[in-house]
Amino acid sequence: MIWATWRMHRSIFLASIAIAMAFAVWLAITGGMEEHSWTIFTSHHCSLNYPGSSAVCMSSLSGTGNFSSVNAALCGALPALLGLVLGVPLVAGEIQQRTNRLAWTQSITRTRWLLTKIGVGALFTAAIVGALAPLFWWWTDAAQRNSHIQPPNFDISGFVGVAYALSAFMLGVALGALIRRAGWAFAACVPIFALVRIGIRLYVRPGLISPTTVTVGADAPVGNTDWYLNAGFVPIGRSTPAPGQTWANSNLVIEKCQGLGYGTQKAAHSATYCERANHLHYVMQFQPPGHFWPLQGAESAIFLVLAGALLALTVLAVRRWRT
Amino acid sequence: MSESMAALEAMGLGKRYGRKWGLEDCSFRLPAGRIAALVGPNGAGKSTLLRMAAGITRPTAGDVRVFGRSPQDQAVEVLRQIGYLDQERPLYRSFRVDEMLRFGERLNPNWNDAVARGYLAALDIPTDSKVGRLSVGQQAQVALTMCLAKRPALLLLDEPVAALDPVAREGLMHILLRSVVDDNTTVVLSSHAVSDLVTICDYVIILSASRVHVADDLDYVLASHRLLMASSEQAPALPPGVLVISTRHSERQTNALVRVEQPVTDPSWRVVEPTLEEIVIAYLREKGPRNLAFDKPRDGDSSEDAR
Repeated sequence: MIWATWRMHRSIFLASIAIAMAFAVWLAITGGMEEHSWTIFTSHHCSLNYPGSSAVCMSSLSGTGNFSSVNAALCGALPALLGLVLGVPLVAGEIQQRTNRLAWTQSITRTRWLLTKIGVGALFTAAIVGALAPLFWWWTDAAQRNSHIQPPNFDISGFVGVAYALSAFMLGVALGALIRRAGWAFAACVPIFALVRIGIRLYVRPGLISPTTVTVGADAPVGNTDWYLNAGFVPIGRSTPAPGQTWANSNLVIEKCQGLGYGTQKAAHSATYCERANHLHYVMQFQPPGHFWPLQGAESAIFLVLAGALLALTVLAVRRWRT
Repeated sequence: MSESMAALEAMGLGKRYGRKWGLEDCSFRLPAGRIAALVGPNGAGKSTLLRMAAGITRPTAGDVRVFGRSPQDQAVEVLRQIGYLDQERPLYRSFRVDEMLRFGERLNPNWNDAVARGYLAALDIPTDSKVGRLSVGQQAQVALTMCLAKRPALLLLDEPVAALDPVAREGLMHILLRSVVDDNTTVVLSSHAVSDLVTICDYVIILSASRVHVADDLDYVLASHRLLMASSEQAPALPPGVLVISTRHSERQTNALVRVEQPVTDPSWRVVEPTLEEIVIAYLREKGPRNLAFDKPRDGDSSEDAR
């Protein structure tokens, strides 16, 4: 059955290898360009704030960033897309060709047929996306030049991409088995998966591991490798807003202090005065780089649990098949 | 396998598609070692019945058993006993023929590769060409070979002769007869053309308008039906104790195909033994609700029915 799975889906397996390899070549070329530009940029002591100071700096900048946002989006989407491309036809393709009727009347249970196909497909998906992961990591370093924990980078760094790919794969298998038309299933999977991922990124990931909270003094240096979640004034004695209040407080005094030059960094002396006069302090909440691997693990776990639930759903749907 | 165990048994079997019943209240008991003809017009429910027997489709009502076990369990022991040829002959079109055989070999412990290759060689089907490149008839032969090489105890063949030329039909009938004799295989063949099957079958299931009208030994079916003929001007009343299946009136003559319990002795009717084809056509022609009320074959009608 392992051989049969490979043979049945050989063309889509080979096509996804080709897509992955083509993208890897593209990423290596553009990433190499970015790295080269960065070398020039730093060796000439250029500054991002005053890039116009020299012609060399200008030309080095024009080489960077041309593709980086597109590439970041592609790196973010590719694991899920590969998962869907491999997952959707796994069951839906056979139903459309009616070959499920052939397969289900051989001397093998439907469950074993399904689990073997899913096992082979999932291993393949994980292998291909896992093989891309080091390249993505390198590219993020070369082109993005900031911490891996910060949002667009987090999604394409580490092993979370494998979890995205596996859950997309299982979503494809499950909807393919339920909708029974590969095209429609694919069309349904793309927005569903995108919504789930964006939702988890925006609302779940920030608190997945409890963030570090610091009360920052006026002279405290602030690292830019952290992933900032919130910052603002809160009454002394509290490290988070009082119940019913948000970080963007409507309190007039706080607003006044807020207006004295706070963003995520603080420096102004007037702010210190403001704090003292109003019994407030400035609090920052963020995920430090040290939380990168635990966060990767926690978010991967969510997606793997989703994949597991979809697997159970698919097994039930196929076992209880009605035609 | 004990003689008393039915190869295929349906008990009140029904399948509803939406509001419409594809097959309704279907009961019969096919003893092992028989070749059963499943006849009925297109859309009568033949494929639905075979799919349920193969465990692909789930019944809405009733139960179906293959050698006493439900194919709905999807258990390997049941699946091994069933060789199912789907009406659409699904095959992996991108596979070469020998890859198709390898698929069968890997998935079936009883697979007989020599048998499979022998059939295909006899049919001049090249094993190195892609399945999708073969003609429709050749694909049908490959699909059949897959069923036969599995060496099942029960062959469920949906319209097996439909895509075959007359020579290939002969060949298939010969193969089926041999496997019944050699391996005690039970065969159910469906067809909308009775003439295809009448030469080899010894059991008949007549389906029409989603219902089973007859399911019995061919000999019994032939013996229990009579064609009554009389001239139309003086057509007498039908003799008592007969069940009218179908009547045909022309200006000159009235013909009635009836089911009888005892010999018809009424001299005003000319009594003829009908062919299977005539019986089948009579059932298929009169498929209105009035005919659905007739008594089904009673238990004990069939000589094998010694439970």
